[in-house]
Amino acid sequence: MRTTEETRQSFAIRMRNVEKRIGEFQLKIEDLTLEEGRIHGFIGGNGSGKTTAAKLMMGILSPDAGTIERKDLGPRDITMTSQRPYLLHDTVYANLVYPLRVRGRKPEESQVRALLARFGLEDKAKQYARSLSSGEQQKLSMLRALIFEPRFLIIDETLSNMDPESVEQFEEMILDIQKKNPVTWVIISHRLSHVYRLCDRLHFFSRGSVLASGTGDEILFKSSEPEIRRFMSKEMIRSGSAES
Amino acid sequence: MNVIEKLVGSLFSDVGVYDAIRVTLCMSVCSTLLSSAIGIALGLALERFSFPGKRIVVRVNRTLMGVPPVVVGLVVYMLIMRRGPLGFLGILFTVRGMILAQTLIITPIICGMTYSYAVKTAPAVRVFARTMGANRRQTSILLVREMKYELYFAMISGFGRSISEVGAVMLVGGNIKGNTRTMTTAIALLKSQGIFHEGLTLGLLLLVMAFVIQCLADFLRREVQEEENY
Repeated sequence: MRTTEETRQSFAIRMRNVEKRIGEFQLKIEDLTLEEGRIHGFIGGNGSGKTTAAKLMMGILSPDAGTIERKDLGPRDITMTSQRPYLLHDTVYANLVYPLRVRGRKPEESQVRALLARFGLEDKAKQYARSLSSGEQQKLSMLRALIFEPRFLIIDETLSNMDPESVEQFEEMILDIQKKNPVTWVIISHRLSHVYRLCDRLHFFSRGSVLASGTGDEILFKSSEPEIRRFMSKEMIRSGSAES
Repeated sequence: MNVIEKLVGSLFSDVGVYDAIRVTLCMSVCSTLLSSAIGIALGLALERFSFPGKRIVVRVNRTLMGVPPVVVGLVVYMLIMRRGPLGFLGILFTVRGMILAQTLIITPIICGMTYSYAVKTAPAVRVFARTMGANRRQTSILLVREMKYELYFAMISGFGRSISEVGAVMLVGGNIKGNTRTMTTAIALLKSQGIFHEGLTLGLLLLVMAFVIQCLADFLRREVQEEENY
């Protein structure tokens, strides 16, 4: 149930009665509203519909039924990165500036170099992008999504193969953007600590629908939904064993 | 040029070898360029659009990829002979007629290879282009750019087929010395005259050319494979 304050807040994307079937999988979202300028986290088990919902928002997939409203969001305002990003058959630099070229904007060399340097890719600007390690490929994909300053970003497990230092840097960068010029984010991740730290709201997906939406505390610690509690306890054990 | 001409002339008897090399290269380059323009466009369109009977079109194209060139030569001959439907063009026993026949042979090969590559590459490229905000024209350009090595490879394969073809060019070109005689038809002539060593030398020259072309194709393919971090 949304509060009055939330209803008043303008939305970036609203999905209503959306249905999408892919093979045996069926996504069914009655009402999912993503408020503008907030960081939203999608959590849930594998095959629960998080990525399918994100692809519908992005417009990569079309719904079989229902409506998806994108408020003042044109195709050039929204972007998505994935766990295994697509990199052009070209250099790191060419990959990074591609979205600027698409928009007819001339890349500012100093800005591009500084961005690469911040994430340790400055020596690799002329390297063939597909020869980078998977973590570096994810970094490049994140930077490429950020360079053109979109208004809506979907980050689908893109930080999964990065080293902790880089993840921290990106988290700082995300929070910094939110302070200066807030944009809307959807972060899909299995790292609960990560989504808890970053996200204003979490949406828990289960078997193709949104089981619950709320703040990090509401979803992760106060929810009475048995499925969420089960998911949480498993994740706690998993992260606990990983730490030990 | 005269030096090369004299050198080639000293190696071979009077079968017009120098002209045969010139005609072979002219015919192969022209037909490859024409086939590439048609085949690549058709292959990409075939991948892009869905229509009733698409699977049959794909199968027919695959069948045409393996059609015997002599059959194509016969069909083209019947089309462009004086009493044929295209007889008014007056291209029988000319290089232009041979280019037409070669284009019909190579186009399905380039189209089929382009289609196969596009089926594998295009969906990911289109999704990526969408996430980057590219419009339709930018997406099409990107797709061709992303497939450039594969498209080169398809073109080189087409060129290799064209340069080594004998049946269709013999029928359509007529093997006229200094005019429509190619390296392959010259070899056939030399064999019929019993001049085997010259036929073999010419064959060797053809092999070297085919080898260079295949090396180029291989080089392009390896360049992509070796640099990727799987």
